[in-house]
Amino acid sequence: MAPTFKGVMQSTVTPLKDDFSLDLETFEKVLDFHVRTGATAISWPHHKAESLSLTIDERKLFAEVAVKVVNGRVPVTIHVSSLAVADTFELARHAEEIGADGILAITPYVWAPTAESIEDYFVRLCRSIGIPVISYNSPSYLAGVEITGELMARLIAKLPNFVGVKEASFNSEKFVEISRIALPLRPDFALVTGVEFLLPSVPLGGVGCYSAAGSICPNLCTRLWETCTAGDWPKAREIQIKMTRLWHLFKDQYPSSLKGGMVIMGRPAGPTRAPLPTATRERQAFIQSELEEMGILDTEPHGW
Amino acid sequence: MSFEPGLVHAPLTPFTAGGRIDWETYAGVIQFHLANGADAIAVPMHSGEAVSLPDREKREIITFAVNEAGGVPVLAHASDSGTGIAAALARFAEAAGATAIITTTPYYWTPPAAMLVEHFAEVAGAVSLPFYAHNAPDDMAGIKVSVAIALELIDRAPNFIGVVDSGLDWQFMLELITEAPRKRPGFQLISGNEYMVSAGSIGATGLVSTLAAIAPQRVRALYDDCRADRLFEARKAQEDLAALRQVVKASGVAGLKAAARAMGRDMGAPRPPLKSLEASALAGLQQGLDALSALSGEPRGW
Repeated sequence: MAPTFKGVMQSTVTPLKDDFSLDLETFEKVLDFHVRTGATAISWPHHKAESLSLTIDERKLFAEVAVKVVNGRVPVTIHVSSLAVADTFELARHAEEIGADGILAITPYVWAPTAESIEDYFVRLCRSIGIPVISYNSPSYLAGVEITGELMARLIAKLPNFVGVKEASFNSEKFVEISRIALPLRPDFALVTGVEFLLPSVPLGGVGCYSAAGSICPNLCTRLWETCTAGDWPKAREIQIKMTRLWHLFKDQYPSSLKGGMVIMGRPAGPTRAPLPTATRERQAFIQSELEEMGILDTEPHGW
Repeated sequence: MSFEPGLVHAPLTPFTAGGRIDWETYAGVIQFHLANGADAIAVPMHSGEAVSLPDREKREIITFAVNEAGGVPVLAHASDSGTGIAAALARFAEAAGATAIITTTPYYWTPPAAMLVEHFAEVAGAVSLPFYAHNAPDDMAGIKVSVAIALELIDRAPNFIGVVDSGLDWQFMLELITEAPRKRPGFQLISGNEYMVSAGSIGATGLVSTLAAIAPQRVRALYDDCRADRLFEARKAQEDLAALRQVVKASGVAGLKAAARAMGRDMGAPRPPLKSLEASALAGLQQGLDALSALSGEPRGW
């Protein structure tokens, strides 16, 4: 039932106008840019798209735009995680109605749910819709709350549309627990990393990533994927190290610095909503010097 | 300083029924590791109950291991709460013929970064041997050797040549391997446990293994595949050892000793405050081991 979610999938930023309102025209450009530069899927709005700073109506509006603009060229998944679980369910139903290829959902925010409570949540969510659900594991951002390998196994056994996980623990033990327990139960389970940590995950059954750097350097992302899947480890190592330096640059006040970098690349996507700051001119200048030093300005597309 | 430790086995410490170090068995332990794939030995690590050994016994173990190892490198774990005590142990280890020193963050104090740098710098400065800092946040209440600490320590200690990492964090490993070798060419990332595929993909060149007491063949296969960049091929051994780790993990050293006993290598009970497993936990552990088909290829007895 599931379209395959693999490769370097782009989770786009949310372009905003100077008054912080949604910038529809630029969003269309962002989506097109990613599809043209090699994205194997589009997913919106992850945290870097400021999901938690958007209203539910705004999220529905742009979800519709994403599905319409991508128009079946690659699969589109909608990130539905919201503070209120009721909103999550509403966004999931909406995603199905507008023809999205799947949804993405993190463990519930704030309340530090138990394993049983997480299980109950995903069971209800998956059963409320008929499209694929990709779970999202991010223990370091959520006070240690995680979907363990064991819990994955229970969810796979119960739910035919529980098809994958965005794994953002970036931890060897947690990753192997999922790969060795979940994959034998559902061999096409999409085990993808939260950002481009392809080198440490592909040898263990990882099938891709949700990209952060793709709005800056899509060519490098594709090259990392190709070298990893080809088993060209020395080259992959070299690219992954470069990618780490980029991640270090962009994770600062994420996604403020990413949007700052997009200005340098000729693809401005506007400011960042509060409480996050917008990258200052000084920060942009620093980003520019880093990108220059890494050779990104010479090897990656400029403008839309 | 061109030392590279390769695959390092971290032996368990055998005790007699009376709780004393069982030297006769210990000789067998070391010979077992040497015969089953160890490029080097590290004593006494946490799995060797380092923190339950008075300073005198740590020194006896280091001397004993150097003599028994017959020229195979011995890495001495010189860790303590007190910087001076750890430094004195390191100095002793150098005189006793150890090849390198491993020092974990100091126990109990939850020190800030500046204190950690000072601690490591003083212990490293007490010796001229190659020095490794051990990042073990799970054992040490979350205290880490950060990349910033490692970079500062490079400036302070000319013999600081690597980090033994048990933290398993990809971002840390990648940032360390990006930054540290720029300041110190040849700087090493050593995996502090058997999650070698990810660490090896990033660039780890060594591995400190506790599970080698139970499944040394799988550990050797994993290590060799990773070092030869056969990372896809290494996945099976990686998953086998991850499964083994999960079986013994919850019960710590008692679980490791029980599993080694199940493989025909009895090393006695752990020292207090650790307890041997109670019957139900032991049965559960045995059941877990029985389910691991990978253990069928592993040596039984000494």
